[in-house]
Amino acid sequence: MRLHSMTSSLSASSRETAKMADVVNVGVNLDAFSHAISGIQALRSSVSRVFESLKDGMKNRETLEGREKQFIAEFQDNLQAVNRDLNELERLSGLVGRPSESHPLHNSGLLSLDPVQDKTPLYSQLLQAYKWSNKLQYHAGLASSLLNQQSLKRSANQMGASAKRRPKVQPSTLVLPPQYVDDVISRIGRMFPDMTIELFRPNGTSAVLLVTLGKVLKAIVVMRSLFIDRTVVRGFNENVYNEDRKLDIWTKSQYQVFQKVTDHATTALLHYQLPQMPDVVVRSFMTWLRSYIKLFQSSCQRCGRFLQDGLPPTWRDFRTLEAFHDTCRM
Amino acid sequence: MGVTCVCQVPVAEGKSVQQTVDILHKKLEQLGAVKQGSFCVDCETYHATGNVSGQPSKLLYVMHNSETPLSCLALFEGGPCLIADANFDVLMVKLKSHFQNSKAHKVECRGSRYRYCDFLIKVGTVTMSSSARGISVEVEYCPCVVPGDCWNLMKEFTQSFLGPSVPELPSVFAAKPEGLFAPADSVDTMTQYLELFNKLRKLQIPGSNVR
Repeated sequence: MRLHSMTSSLSASSRETAKMADVVNVGVNLDAFSHAISGIQALRSSVSRVFESLKDGMKNRETLEGREKQFIAEFQDNLQAVNRDLNELERLSGLVGRPSESHPLHNSGLLSLDPVQDKTPLYSQLLQAYKWSNKLQYHAGLASSLLNQQSLKRSANQMGASAKRRPKVQPSTLVLPPQYVDDVISRIGRMFPDMTIELFRPNGTSAVLLVTLGKVLKAIVVMRSLFIDRTVVRGFNENVYNEDRKLDIWTKSQYQVFQKVTDHATTALLHYQLPQMPDVVVRSFMTWLRSYIKLFQSSCQRCGRFLQDGLPPTWRDFRTLEAFHDTCRM
Repeated sequence: MGVTCVCQVPVAEGKSVQQTVDILHKKLEQLGAVKQGSFCVDCETYHATGNVSGQPSKLLYVMHNSETPLSCLALFEGGPCLIADANFDVLMVKLKSHFQNSKAHKVECRGSRYRYCDFLIKVGTVTMSSSARGISVEVEYCPCVVPGDCWNLMKEFTQSFLGPSVPELPSVFAAKPEGLFAPADSVDTMTQYLELFNKLRKLQIPGSNVR
């Protein structure tokens, strides 16, 4: 029985790897692959022959001895056939090779295994969206370098090269080694004594930070290499983990004040943008977030009161870090 | 669970307890608070028997809070306290020989519960042997856990519906302004209620030896 299940799982996995080979084309010997698949089929048939002969039992012969001998001889032949096929399969699987380990999309590459391609073209759309966002980042970088020049000339001769001649290189800031990201984050974490930053990588190489600010709040910041993608802010006494003991990055806070702070934090991460120097961006964002250590102690700079509609001043100015009510900000 | 403050509201002049409570409810509703059911806090007193003669017997208070319906709190005034299962009451019945229940001193506080933004407000009537003794107001600011941080905020909020009479920082917090208000146990809240109940008890029974 175990042989059966093993061979069926082997054939299923080989089919899956065949599909993955379509997508990730490197390092797989397709010829040996097809031989291996037929080897699996041969193995399955010899295994089923064994079980069939067992099921049929002893054939009718003159003497009991003759029957037993014949049965044992047949059984032995079948088992030897199985052994032969298994060895052949092992040899072939050694030749097949491994599919490339470096899929850029990690777990989402498994989406390509969905057989219903025309109804749910998830994977192709995902690839397109990814390429589009990469291109967008690249163009944003180019645009920011152009705009930063602030040249007074009407025509920019330096970048006069046509689009074809511009190098189509991936922007380097998007593909940063995880070690570098770790270093930057730990350096920023050491800058502020009342703020602790923990780094997790629950899904692939994107870092998820858990920022604990004193005894006031906990913020979960989802990054994409060194760019901040989105953030959720919750109270100090709220649960940050879900039932699987993983960081819960989706649930909103149950308190209105922290829902407001989450909205402001999202505005902040859109405000602090510098495509060429993402570590400066992260540092500015953390400095801004740190101003919330006195969330419940500060009064609004404009109206002087603590509460407005039951909320303390939740807005922090991006330049001066002063506290304002959401309705009081200029 | 956040920072809680319990204070006593004096009965308005020329009005009964019920009318003052109604005025408070109206003020809260004007502010925009939403009523969310009712609450009940009660406290039973037990005398410890078999003590050294000449010394006043220690009083054990067993309190319940509808906010934490499955637990009950047993404490000595100013002394150690215990948070136990709801079955603790049954245990106290079994300990009749050591702790005697003085049923006449049971104090109860019942009223309605309001929610306004992140605040939880409970306005209740304190009754002792079915006579109303006073009005209690409990204000809880749920998102914050450090009482020293949000005291000004809570004071401003309390003044917005109670009027300009300034509630003082409860003595429970004076001891630990920077400390964490442990949200899991409601010891600080119940200690404040106990102080309030004792104050109201003393008010109506002046000169009585029974504490």
